[in-house]
Amino acid sequence: MLVTNIEVIPGKQVTTHLGMVQGNTVRAKHAGRDIMAGLKNIFGGELVGYTELLQESREEATDRMVQQAKAIGANAVINVRYSTSSVTSGAAELFAYGTAVIIE
Amino acid sequence: MNIDLYFFATLLVLGYFFGRMAEKKHFKSIIEREQKYQDVLTFNGRLLPPGMENSKAELVGGNVVISVDYFKRIAAGLRAIVGGRVTTYESLLERARREAILRMKEDAIAKGATMVVNVKLETASITKGQGQQIGSVEIYAYGTALSPMPVL
Amino acid sequence: MKYENRTIPEGINVSEEHPLKEFVILAFGLGAMTVLVVALLSFMAGWLVHLIPFSIEKSLSTSSFAASISDRVDLTKEQQRIESYLQQLADELVVAQQLPEGMDVVVHYVDDDTVNAFATLGGNLIMYRGLIERLPHENALAMLLSHEIAHIKQRAPIVALGRGVAVGLALASISGFGDSSMSQQLVGNVGLLTSLSFSRQQEDQADIEALQTLERYYGHTRGAESLFEVLNEGSNVFNPPEILSTHPVTQERIKRVDSFNEKSSELVPYKNLPDFLMKEFKTAN
Repeated sequence: MLVTNIEVIPGKQVTTHLGMVQGNTVRAKHAGRDIMAGLKNIFGGELVGYTELLQESREEATDRMVQQAKAIGANAVINVRYSTSSVTSGAAELFAYGTAVIIE
Repeated sequence: MNIDLYFFATLLVLGYFFGRMAEKKHFKSIIEREQKYQDVLTFNGRLLPPGMENSKAELVGGNVVISVDYFKRIAAGLRAIVGGRVTTYESLLERARREAILRMKEDAIAKGATMVVNVKLETASITKGQGQQIGSVEIYAYGTALSPMPVL
Repeated sequence: MKYENRTIPEGINVSEEHPLKEFVILAFGLGAMTVLVVALLSFMAGWLVHLIPFSIEKSLSTSSFAASISDRVDLTKEQQRIESYLQQLADELVVAQQLPEGMDVVVHYVDDDTVNAFATLGGNLIMYRGLIERLPHENALAMLLSHEIAHIKQRAPIVALGRGVAVGLALASISGFGDSSMSQQLVGNVGLLTSLSFSRQQEDQADIEALQTLERYYGHTRGAESLFEVLNEGSNVFNPPEILSTHPVTQERIKRVDSFNEKSSELVPYKNLPDFLMKEFKTAN
């Protein structure tokens, strides 16, 4: 499965456009991480726990998007975009979307 | 009341010194790594540069969540009353953005790429609407890494 | 077409200005502005509430805590007798102090160990047993009553309330902006203002007024100093009486009494507190 965020796959020819596929996940942070983050809020600096959490969630969103693409018989996803929104306080939605295509 | 005030002042001083120290260190490391990775080119254009049409394309990304320190938060709070440039947050976001791009470049290097095109930056405030609990911002940088294909 | 990345110089997105400089300017500027606004508001509020007639202040106070504090405990017959004695003394002092037409004073006696006495909205005086039982004679009690009556004459309770409300509102509206944790602390502390503490100037004025009243009522001011002696004794213990938090005993206050006393040279015996009062206090302990 090839995933890019440009409109083409270099060196390949897109034969079929299969439409949009998307993957999302909503993750809440947990209290343990929050306590550390609260401390960090005094001193400043990177919140490693949150960085990892969001990275994991984003991978999961990408994964789900790829699953959708596979399910409809695509072998590549192009023009991928990410978007984040905080749905409620303490939880973030990570959303990935792109165009599923078949390349030769 | 006095205990509150001392607590506030202590946090302010701690936040100022540790925050400033961390910021200086971070900027130093950012500049160093930018030098180191300057061979990996980044572009916002979505079209492939000439000569790269036949390379391997892969999605790469890097993210960072960075927190404000207490001093910055109070300074920004004061600034919000008068309005104007919130300089303390400007440096925070600058740091986060450059860090995210660097991590994306590291990802690209690990995949053997020499160029990242169509770089997008995405900013999310984790604590939006959460009052004054934890002030932090996430930056995610992503793009398509191009690695030259071995000539078959 | 060439593709390359050039190094971007530092300090374009980030200003090099020292963050402390900005912080200090902002903090002091805003601090000064807040002080100015609060001072102006409290001055204006203090001036405006004088336009509220005393009758309205009185009707306001029926729902206030002054009424609730006295109704909370049902007074016994003996305690009612004490209250009416205090009321009678207060009424005589009101005449001596020449309060304006329509202004009267209602004394509420509270059977409690708290060493306190205060004037509040609507001409209500709250007198605690804890303080009265420490007073050696009627002259000191009259000094205490006249001092609090003077506050009523000044309209001090409603001025303090008006100021408290105005300042509280102003700070609450500022706290709408900025960092809420900080302003919440500020507003929380200012909330204490509503416990109606009067300014030093009002206290000094009330002292002078009270001493003049005593002069008119007894013909001399001797015995007034006993009130301060009693309060001073209390200030040395670990748990100082509540009244000291609003009425600190200062050297100036004692000096003022002394200067009044010098004028009345002849030694007049103090008036004793009525016997039933002393008896009731003994049984209460």
